[in-house]
Amino acid sequence: MDPIDFFGNHVFRMVFLGTTTIGIVSGALGTFAYLRKQSLISDVISHAALPGALLAFLTAVVVFGINGQNMLLLVIGAVITGTLSAFFANMIAGQTKIAIDTAMAISLTTFFGFGMLLLRIVTNAPLPGKGGIQDYLFGNAASITRADLTTSVAVGAFALALMIVFWKEFALRTFDPVLSTMLGFRARLIDTLMFGTIVIAIVIGIKAVGFVLMVAFIVTPPAAARQWTNRLSSMVILSAVFGGLGSGFGAYLSISMGNVPTGPMIVLLLFAIFVVSLVASPKRSIIVAGWRHAKARHALKQELLAEGESR
Amino acid sequence: MKMDACETRDLSVAYREEPVLRRVNFRVPVGGIMGIVGPNGAGKSTLIKAMLGLVTPLTGTSEFFGESLNTVRNRVGYMPQSASVDWDFPTTVVDLATMGTYGALGWFRRPGNAERKRAMDALEQTGMQDFAMRQIGELSGGQKQRAFLARALVQAPDLYFMDEPFQGIDAKSQDAMIGVLKELGAQGKTVVIVHHHLGSVLDFCDHVTLLNKTIVASGSGPETFTTENIRATYDSSNGAETFLTAAE
Amino acid sequence: MSYVLGVMLLACVTALACALPGAFVVLRKNSMIVDGIAHAVLPGIIVGFALTKDLNSPILILGAALAGLVVVLGNEWLSDTGLLAGDAPQGLIFPALFAGGIIMVSTDMQHVHLDTNAVLIGDLNLAAFPAMILNGVNIGPEYLYVMLGVLILNAAFIAAFYSKLKLTTFDRQFATVLGMRTRVLNTAFMFLVSMTVVAAFKAVGAILVVSLLVVPAATAKLISNRLDHMLALSAVFSVVGALAGFWIAYALNTGTSAAMAVIYGILFTLVAIVEKGITRWRRGHKAASGPNELVTVRAKR
Repeated sequence: MDPIDFFGNHVFRMVFLGTTTIGIVSGALGTFAYLRKQSLISDVISHAALPGALLAFLTAVVVFGINGQNMLLLVIGAVITGTLSAFFANMIAGQTKIAIDTAMAISLTTFFGFGMLLLRIVTNAPLPGKGGIQDYLFGNAASITRADLTTSVAVGAFALALMIVFWKEFALRTFDPVLSTMLGFRARLIDTLMFGTIVIAIVIGIKAVGFVLMVAFIVTPPAAARQWTNRLSSMVILSAVFGGLGSGFGAYLSISMGNVPTGPMIVLLLFAIFVVSLVASPKRSIIVAGWRHAKARHALKQELLAEGESR
Repeated sequence: MKMDACETRDLSVAYREEPVLRRVNFRVPVGGIMGIVGPNGAGKSTLIKAMLGLVTPLTGTSEFFGESLNTVRNRVGYMPQSASVDWDFPTTVVDLATMGTYGALGWFRRPGNAERKRAMDALEQTGMQDFAMRQIGELSGGQKQRAFLARALVQAPDLYFMDEPFQGIDAKSQDAMIGVLKELGAQGKTVVIVHHHLGSVLDFCDHVTLLNKTIVASGSGPETFTTENIRATYDSSNGAETFLTAAE
Repeated sequence: MSYVLGVMLLACVTALACALPGAFVVLRKNSMIVDGIAHAVLPGIIVGFALTKDLNSPILILGAALAGLVVVLGNEWLSDTGLLAGDAPQGLIFPALFAGGIIMVSTDMQHVHLDTNAVLIGDLNLAAFPAMILNGVNIGPEYLYVMLGVLILNAAFIAAFYSKLKLTTFDRQFATVLGMRTRVLNTAFMFLVSMTVVAAFKAVGAILVVSLLVVPAATAKLISNRLDHMLALSAVFSVVGALAGFWIAYALNTGTSAAMAVIYGILFTLVAIVEKGITRWRRGHKAASGPNELVTVRAKR
């Protein structure tokens, strides 16, 4: 399909713009999760977003009698449970003798199990406007409406604005947690803000991408960007560019190829970007580095052996 | 010719591209305590690990009692730096000591009363018998090290490797452990110990090796552990200067 | 055997089969790797199906278990390159494999009746449906016997290598010096975990299988001072949670595995709170009853 047809179609345009927004925001903010060495918390948050989204739906329909699949409501519900799940995981790791990886698995499965119970209840109950609610599992990029897009852009821009305003605090907290506390930055507040923005980046993607694959949007672009740069600012920008490019191009490809789901297509593209970065980046390329490493070790070995013979 | 407890020939190790050990020729005679001393990053732990096959050497070989490690494994004991284990692991002190017998256990075999008895004896030797049923995380630093020493004793080897066993422990535990080591030496066993604290080296080491990426000096304690050799090992590093000024 | 009894037994046996290796998964800090393995099952099954054309073939289980091993070894390799920070390696491979799986399902092979929702969530009632008939007598769900086989395999492996598993988990370097083949044992164990995940996912789904493996074992770890106690308690918690989850799901007409996961989560939280309370009370008690002869500060990593 040529680009003119593609962008002439309203649905396609929404898919393209929606996923690109998600890619840019999650790429930029995922950088902090990566540098804080807590990339996998994004997997917990995205799974825990399910019960939040469903609770928001139920509240809207049952309590207020309005359309339950409103993007803003979904985001609010998901932000609440997503934040709770991250908090729960960190609390387990901090208060008990359970390590963080197990704590994350406990939080993830408990929240997700609760979400699945709710999903079954919603599916069984005669509620209006529940069509397509199953899509939250894998996401459905074609379901992005103009209102959804506006919400994503607005909420995403808000998260990015927070990042820019608190840039200095975020940076210091990321690289030197001890120093940042000593300098009097309120560590807890900054952590909450930082992980809050990451939660936002995750939940705006749920409806289009689904929670299973959202982890790739947070983890992959920064991991790729890290191979090209050592500076925080350029890493955030590059990661956002990778996220945006992978998403936009992935959306385009999935639609022009026909029957290919968008989210998975994007994830494969992001992974390809990561692999290329791992192989081709000039400083850290695994192939060049591996070869140089082997050569250096060999030279060293020869040198040592020669030293031995001359004695 | 008297056989060595262990010997390395031209042992070199590199992490990534940085050589950590350069052509180390190191021998330990049978019987007594050999202290390996050197500044931070001198490769003391790496030397032990390379000999025991925990790190792959770039060049060189190691022998134990004239044989390869695989044939005499049951004669070689090891007490790793303990900071790395999970102290919340569900295991009691006697359980930990019993692990020293695991090398000899086959499939489906679990340690029985005989193994437990050996563990209790070893705990008694290190003064830890009263703590046998404690979970390991409930111990103080010195008690933890004494429990790990008991595990090494349970192995009942002829040659012990110990990686900084006195790190972060109280004086009472250190005295108790040194007592056990001296006893081992007196029984004709060999102990190779990585040691950090210069001041106490001659208190218990029969032999000393000064190491800084390569062997600076190695031999009997008082002859080797001289001001000159220590200077050569530590260059101008502060720790040695302080110690030397204090000694003079 | 009645259908309800069959489903209940299936829930218990599946939970037990997962909880036993789960204890070691928790102690080895591999919990999130299991999450990755569980997701890699999807492409593994699809590729296996493409080769065998039979959804019930044992080769399928093997193929999917190998896909899980790809995640494990891939993680290790990525970590070893030293190019990535923190836990990022664990989050890179499995989404890509899973995405590949979904694309395969939705393009080439739409004739495969593999409902992607069912892959994620599983359906115990559906899995229990085909009954095993012996001499004209219904002896319970076929799948119950598959899981029973997995349970026996896991129990036998752990019994055979108990001491070795324990030591390599606790102190890998010491185990190596004793001459244990720690790498081989580790790979064999992860393959077993992978196979357990594959076998269980049909009943409980790829995500909630993580709950069955990790949460009962983590709950047991909270209150165990010995590994054998931890294994026994994991088994107890897993069965208690399976029964409770089953009856709640039965009463509310919802998914069994989801109810089990929620119950396990609640059970963990309760035990954690009670344990914390008791420790605090004891400490206060001790402090009040005179000078403490030793420092009992628990080292926190």
